[in-house]
Amino acid sequence: MTLSEYFELLWSDYTLRTITMGTAVLGAICGMLGSFAVLRKQSLLGDAISHAALPGIALAFLITGAKDTNILLLGALISGLIGTFWIRGMTSKTHLKSDTALGLVLSLFFGFGMLLLTFIQKQPNANQAGLDKYLFGQAATLVEDDVRLMLIVTGISLVILLLFWKEFKILLFDADYTKTLGFNTKFIDVLITFFIVLAIVLGLQTVGVVLMSAMLLAPAAAARQWTNSLGVMIVLAAIFGAFSGVFGTAISASQNNLSTGPVIVLVAAVFVLVSFVFSPGRGLLFREIRFRNNRRDLKLKKTLQVMYGIARDHENISHPHAIRILNNFQGFTRKSLKQMEDKEWITLEGQQWAMTENGFEAAKNLYSQQLKDD
Amino acid sequence: MTSPQIEIQLIAVVVAIACAIPGVFLVLRKMALISDAISHSILPGIVIGFFITQDLNSPLLILLAALTGVITVVLVEAIQKTGLVKEDTAIGLVFPALFSIGVILIAKNANDVHLDVDAVLLGELAFAPFDRLLISGMDLGPKSLWLMGTILLITIALLILFFKELKVSTFDAGLSSALGISPIIMHYGLMSVSSVTVVGAFDAVGAILVVALMIAPAATAYLLTSDLKKMIALSIVFGIVSALGGYWLAHGLDASISGSITTVLGVLFLFVYLFAPRKGLLSVLYRQKQQRTEVSLITFLLHLNNHSEENERHINHLNEHINWQKVRAKTVLDLAQKNNMISIQKGVVSLTEKGKDFTQRALEYIMTNKDDRIEHMKDDFFLFRG
Repeated sequence: MTLSEYFELLWSDYTLRTITMGTAVLGAICGMLGSFAVLRKQSLLGDAISHAALPGIALAFLITGAKDTNILLLGALISGLIGTFWIRGMTSKTHLKSDTALGLVLSLFFGFGMLLLTFIQKQPNANQAGLDKYLFGQAATLVEDDVRLMLIVTGISLVILLLFWKEFKILLFDADYTKTLGFNTKFIDVLITFFIVLAIVLGLQTVGVVLMSAMLLAPAAAARQWTNSLGVMIVLAAIFGAFSGVFGTAISASQNNLSTGPVIVLVAAVFVLVSFVFSPGRGLLFREIRFRNNRRDLKLKKTLQVMYGIARDHENISHPHAIRILNNFQGFTRKSLKQMEDKEWITLEGQQWAMTENGFEAAKNLYSQQLKDD
Repeated sequence: MTSPQIEIQLIAVVVAIACAIPGVFLVLRKMALISDAISHSILPGIVIGFFITQDLNSPLLILLAALTGVITVVLVEAIQKTGLVKEDTAIGLVFPALFSIGVILIAKNANDVHLDVDAVLLGELAFAPFDRLLISGMDLGPKSLWLMGTILLITIALLILFFKELKVSTFDAGLSSALGISPIIMHYGLMSVSSVTVVGAFDAVGAILVVALMIAPAATAYLLTSDLKKMIALSIVFGIVSALGGYWLAHGLDASISGSITTVLGVLFLFVYLFAPRKGLLSVLYRQKQQRTEVSLITFLLHLNNHSEENERHINHLNEHINWQKVRAKTVLDLAQKNNMISIQKGVVSLTEKGKDFTQRALEYIMTNKDDRIEHMKDDFFLFRG
């Protein structure tokens, strides 16, 4: 199947449509809530929580003995939340740092989950086949009910986001100030954490434990580069996430032997890469260009300053001087002299330059202007 | 115990010690999650090594994997240096991408060989004794034991050789460069050792257990001591205990050895987290409660000191004036009375000589804010603590 065939089939084929819808919605909600995680410097929370969800899934199965997706996800949600709050407890009550706390919850919960999973496998009623799909994710197992659940959760989190927009925003950027304003920071904090955990749990089935953190991070990190406004960032992140989902599904469906999760993650990584390089405000490319421009400008002004030093000692400032006398000063080239001529700072004649009235004024005001700017 | 059983336990113990030592430094340097990142991102290195050699046991695989580990660290730092995102985001971006590349490479090209992602992530210690080192027909024991034993010996040798340098660069990077010890070399040295250890260990125990074995013993030890040498020793002890305990737990439950070693690590950590003297959760909570009561007591005594009128000092009035809940007010009142700082006559509270003295000193402290004034106060005045 080629990519174009895929997009043609998208409207007619039920399975493809469901999966694409699912990954798109998942990408959108992850991007949306991931923005908060990234801005709150909790980027790796996704990694820890997705691992911490495993024992919940296993325990939910052990207790109910049924493989109902919703019950398993509920288990995942509960153990994810326990993990989150334990991380918080560890960092606030002991001197363990957040990276240690994250790593502990991640590995200890996951290990315990593995113990339970292997224990379940030995049980006689083991219709556990499929439990391990949560490890690596299988977008192909998405059914319409799953997508509906995702849509509902997305809707609810959207409503909550709009309702508490002001609170979320202010909490993100100045938590102490929020407290002094009399907002219940704990409540807002728990609310946003709850929804982040919820998004992670929803993604487990599709992209799996290991890659979930990238789903949460990558769209947000990409969106961050294009804007300084929270609202725009969230919308952009949701769009990037949704596109990663759709393109990732399309690419993996059009090739044999390509699991969807990793492809989605790589597509999201491409978004990040492009944003890092090409975003106009913060991107590496434009930054480098700006940097070079500034340096050239600075060199030009340095040359001007040297010329000013020479011209000042003469009665007639426009007295011509040999270009040669600039030789022991770096930073001037034919090109830069030409530029200075274009700016009407100097006039060039053969091997000689002469300062103009204009250039003299500019050089004189060089430092005082800087002082004014400060 | 049969001989494979002994061998498995031996491997587990060696892996645990080999992980615990670099783990201590990772935890202290706030880089614990690097171990998680490395353990995932080495996957493409292994896969590419396999494509080149077509042999899962080739040393090239380990070399390439360790190299990928170091590349991960370099990439994370490069992204971080651009200043576009924070360090944790950089980690979170790099390793899933590398891991995805590995998974896709496997899926596209190596579907028919024994190189599945489950094995990489989860490992199976129980199979380790079957993979034996044979030299000219002589059985020298399990391969992973040799591999991890070598890594462990190198780690210990490096630790002893560079202990001072590691210590200085971990706690004070500035001082270390002033002393001529390059923090960058120490950093990459540590990263290389961690990377090699992760690679050597994941084959036997899986990526997740490596992370657990690196972080958990060190974190547990960190709650018990602040002395670097003691912390390393304790981590090693915790590693060994959980390796052996985990093996027997797995034996009893007939479950994954990696999973049960991690579980034992978790139980150990939880126990220490709750009950560690001074740094444990219970002792922290108790201390915080005590401090709250003591602060309340000072507030209360200062209030008494400010009011000479009897009606201001009546017990009922105080209750509403200071606006504490009944329980807290009673705790504070009891504490003050037990310590002979107040006397209550006909419901009127007044400061005793001792109470006045105490309040005076508290005021001095508040006004001058000099630590030495409050240092011995509690010892001097308090017979009973809140």
